[in-house]
Amino acid sequence: MNLEGEHQFKGPRQEVWDMFRDPETLSACLPGKSQLTKIDEQHFEGTINIRIGPVNGSFGGNLEITDEIPPEKCTLVVQGRGVTGFVKGIGHIQFVDQGDGTTLLKYTGEAQIGGTLASVGQRMIDSVAKTMIRAAFESLNKSLEVRLAAKESGGKGVRGSDSSKVNLEKPAEEKL
Amino acid sequence: MAGIVFGQRIPRNEDARLLTGKAEFVDDIELPGMLHAAFLRSDYAHARINSIDVSAALKRPGVVAVYTATDFGDYWKPGPLQVPPPTAIPNSVFFARTLIPISKDKIRYSGEPLAVVIAESRYIAEDAFDDIIVDVEPLDAVTDLEKALEPGSPLVHEDLESNLAAHVIQQHGNWEEAAARADYVVKRKIMVDRCAGGAMENRGIIVDWNERSGEMTIWASTQAPIPLRNSIAARLGLFEDKVRVITPFIGGGFGPKIMTSMPDDVLIPIIATWLKRPIKWIEDRRENFLATTSERDQIHYAEIAFNKDGAILGVKDMFYHNTGAYDPYGMTVPLNTQTHTVSNYNVPNFYTEIKMVFTNEMVVTPVRGAGRPEGVFVMERLIDYAACELGMDPADIRARNLITREQYPVRTGIIGQDFVEGVLDSGDYPKALQKACDMIGYDRFIREEQPRLRAEGKHKGIGIVCFTEGTAVGPYEGARVTVGANGKVNVTTGISTQGQGHFTVFAQIAAEQLGVDVKDVNVITGDTGQFHWGAGTFASRGAAVAGTAIYKAASKIRQKAIMLGSQFLGAPEDQIELCGGRVCVKGDPSRYISMGEMAQRANPTRGTFPEGAEPGLEAVDYYGPPYGATGAGSVAMIVDVDPETMAVRVERYVIVHDAGTIINPMLVEGQVLGGVSMGIGNSFFEKMVYDENGQLLSASFMDYLLPQATDMPAKIELGHIETPSPLNPLGIKGVGEAGAIPTPACFAQAVENALADCGLQILEMPLSPSRLWELVQQSGKE
Repeated sequence: MNLEGEHQFKGPRQEVWDMFRDPETLSACLPGKSQLTKIDEQHFEGTINIRIGPVNGSFGGNLEITDEIPPEKCTLVVQGRGVTGFVKGIGHIQFVDQGDGTTLLKYTGEAQIGGTLASVGQRMIDSVAKTMIRAAFESLNKSLEVRLAAKESGGKGVRGSDSSKVNLEKPAEEKL
Repeated sequence: MAGIVFGQRIPRNEDARLLTGKAEFVDDIELPGMLHAAFLRSDYAHARINSIDVSAALKRPGVVAVYTATDFGDYWKPGPLQVPPPTAIPNSVFFARTLIPISKDKIRYSGEPLAVVIAESRYIAEDAFDDIIVDVEPLDAVTDLEKALEPGSPLVHEDLESNLAAHVIQQHGNWEEAAARADYVVKRKIMVDRCAGGAMENRGIIVDWNERSGEMTIWASTQAPIPLRNSIAARLGLFEDKVRVITPFIGGGFGPKIMTSMPDDVLIPIIATWLKRPIKWIEDRRENFLATTSERDQIHYAEIAFNKDGAILGVKDMFYHNTGAYDPYGMTVPLNTQTHTVSNYNVPNFYTEIKMVFTNEMVVTPVRGAGRPEGVFVMERLIDYAACELGMDPADIRARNLITREQYPVRTGIIGQDFVEGVLDSGDYPKALQKACDMIGYDRFIREEQPRLRAEGKHKGIGIVCFTEGTAVGPYEGARVTVGANGKVNVTTGISTQGQGHFTVFAQIAAEQLGVDVKDVNVITGDTGQFHWGAGTFASRGAAVAGTAIYKAASKIRQKAIMLGSQFLGAPEDQIELCGGRVCVKGDPSRYISMGEMAQRANPTRGTFPEGAEPGLEAVDYYGPPYGATGAGSVAMIVDVDPETMAVRVERYVIVHDAGTIINPMLVEGQVLGGVSMGIGNSFFEKMVYDENGQLLSASFMDYLLPQATDMPAKIELGHIETPSPLNPLGIKGVGEAGAIPTPACFAQAVENALADCGLQILEMPLSPSRLWELVQQSGKE
């Protein structure tokens, strides 16, 4: 399955990049009760929950960030396996400074699914993928707002050093 | 050749039980202490296995055992080759890579078993899958038939040099020379895609091992109980009679249940001897799509050479055949394709070449039609494009080239699935074609109705095709017929029954010979404890081959009864007849012996017994044909295409069919109608889809569409022709696959005809509304 699209962020490119590379932020983008643990700057592992039609399961896997040219672009490689199948994806992300304080994120990629997920859920995968991506961008929008607000109001910047002040919500899980 | 019961539309003996829920199927059977098996199956289509850790699964309450490949020790090896290699065909190349029961080092198809869990219930067994940790290294999958043979392709079987599973060339005459002198040569690339058997009842097996008596009883939803028994007995080192396979009622076979080397066939009996408790495995629907065999998947590069008067000089067909990850069933399917390409036409020069290819997809073995529909589809399309080139009517070009009734027997020069040259034994192909045209009103439709409909903006089209159906192949079947002391008759044969009506048809054959009521004949099929010689139900051979064995055994009893009757009643043999359950003297109703009493008198418990005689009224006999009998016919249909939605409705369907002598017209009609619905499914609804990573995308009825009653034409019109086969005494030919074989070819022609203004060419099956729309768009651009 091929994916591509873009999203406009209301913030400067460096901020968008930093936010993107923050594991807590990425974790918040994942659906359901997913979580991501950092191994090192480029490697993360954890679980992700996916529901596609009647097939529902958690997938253990890892995420690798490669080909990084901060703050311009990077490539995400995702692999997950579970009882209901497996997921493999690769996404090429570009961050384009629009010159007016906003950043355009452009992505292209492909995803491969297999197992029950594919054999029973394949007709719904396109719409599920779009929904997940949309939810992830909503989450990132919120994260960016919070970041920028925190910067303005007191320079603490990165969430996590004062997490009691920051309220980062995951996007409501969509019923499919 | 109709008799008192033979040839009559007798209602089925078995229906009362089936329709009131009293029939027993495999899943109905419960045994004390029974355990349930579930197979953990691979998601990946091609991968190397690093490790499988089942320790957590073993701790789950209710789990009795979990086995992986290493647990089976010496039992772990590739299974038997179920069909011999094509050594009868000169220069043939065949690499046997048979089904592996459970993956050890390498996974070759999505669905291949990785572990077997045995638990107190199927629910617990499947829950245990969550506990099993599988560590694999995925490999690139081989799925494109042509790319699979290119150098550098990943190898499904790494001990081979390439993914070529087999290479077989057959020919007669000289194609090159014919093509050179022909007025025209037309070439096409034609594809037929995969379909499933889709039986209402999935596969299933129950194994009960009695440690004390050393005997195993198996209930299986199988088309081949005797080979299954022999295979399991051999594997376990048991004498065959220590294993009994009982086939209960089966909810449809359609081909995939002929397999006897599937993972469950091999592993469950072994496990039963270890655990010493009965074990049941019932396949669920997703498993059936994923991990039971399916069929069709060929790419043809075909050419036809013909002259301007419509005479066909030659056909060349080079095709790739997908055998999937293994080839346990040999070359049966592609050989059927070779024997059913030019079979009904006079084509003096024919070259046909198979390249069978291993891929990381499920194994291909016969599904109703078994390679024949592909051959017919290719030939009928070539003929249609030849007709198009010449501006000739499709019915006329066929009439011009069909084999005529004076030519039989016709030696085809092509060796078939029974490893002998195919010989057309009898038939009247031009008559079938003419009758189909008459029944559908072909000329009137083309000349009057269609132009009028076109003027109204309607897109209706007509198609007419011809086909043959090779049936009734050897090697043999056998039967035992016994008259009981109560005058009722038992007929026992080795083949099993999947719903065809054997319990009635075989009763009719015996009843006719013995002069008893059909309802007094009890037919037993598929129980190796009752009859243990035979091959199985496949290739539309039950009625012709087992039926003939039953006829021969019943005839022996008839002769014996007449002889004994002559002795006991004091009349010459030509004055003795069997009727109403009695042996009587013609014209003198007071002199008779009932069949039951005759049976008793023929079995003395004291005194002496004649030399060379056999006791009772019982006979065993066998029958094996020199080659298979060939049915044939013509199909015509009228379709209505909605040019916006590309929905195609089959408005009328005519099939004229010749199955030789008919035992029960009602059951023949049932077989034909069933085949037609599968044929319509193969044309427009049913498609098994694999992606480029070998992932099956159509593993449920949401995506794999079976035609429903509303998708079928309101009426299917059946015409009959009977040319008795000279190959067996009753003149029977098979009929099981007839409806499925010609339908896609006719559908393609009719849809092209309906959309004639688009210049559409349909070179693939199956279609769908979206695919048809794509093809129409593409043809508009040319």
